[in-house]
Amino acid sequence: MIVDQYLNIKLTNVSVVNKDKYPQLTSLKNCFIRGSVVRYVQINPNDVDTELLQDATRKEYSPVAGGEK
Amino acid sequence: MEEPLDLIKLSLSERVYIKCRNSRELRGTLHAYDQHLNMVLSQVEETITTIEEDEETGEEIVSKKTRNVGMLFVRGDIVVLVSPPLRTS
Amino acid sequence: MSSESKDASTEEAPTNAEHKRSPADFLKAVLGRPVNVRLNTGTDYKGVLACLDGYMNIAMEQTEEYVDGQLKSKYGDCFIRGNNVLYISSQKR
Repeated sequence: MIVDQYLNIKLTNVSVVNKDKYPQLTSLKNCFIRGSVVRYVQINPNDVDTELLQDATRKEYSPVAGGEK
Repeated sequence: MEEPLDLIKLSLSERVYIKCRNSRELRGTLHAYDQHLNMVLSQVEETITTIEEDEETGEEIVSKKTRNVGMLFVRGDIVVLVSPPLRTS
Repeated sequence: MSSESKDASTEEAPTNAEHKRSPADFLKAVLGRPVNVRLNTGTDYKGVLACLDGYMNIAMEQTEEYVDGQLKSKYGDCFIRGNNVLYISSQKR
């Protein structure tokens, strides 16, 4: 999976979760999803370091550090 | 509080309530956000409210469906409102 | 809808003695005061305007949510994403 600045997503080695509902996607292997049409991305909780995320977010918005806005 | 986003900052690592477009609501723990209100939440409960009209009686039937997601990235443009959950006082 | 928008623009900002009419002056005048925020969806939020930014993102306190004029819920603090805002009007409590 690759993500760019617009949060466009490129997926490789796709597996379709609900094949019965989306039969047109049975042969889908790779795809590109325009970021603007995304609502959610579900993530495996084990892949996320929440402490790291919170610290990074706090730093980004702390007036002292003056990170990019 | 100087700017509205400070309110979100205060909610980091706390449970928040998010009202989204398309009658969707989220409750979850906030771990990250940016100026677009893109957010990362964990232990998320999503509630989807649908209103259907009974064909015979014309009555409105409100139904709510919930589902749970362990970790969720939410795109900011669907966000309408963010609030810390009601303090039970 | 049009009559309500008119109300918002003609209503006196309470502290504004000089009758300045620019939108920015209006917003400054209603900071910390009771306001009604209407969203594009028609939902109203009544509460105290804590602060706002250039995107019209809004932080409010003691907020009451009204859908079709009916009180639906209350929030101690709430953040409203600016793109959803139709108008902000000052309000008497």
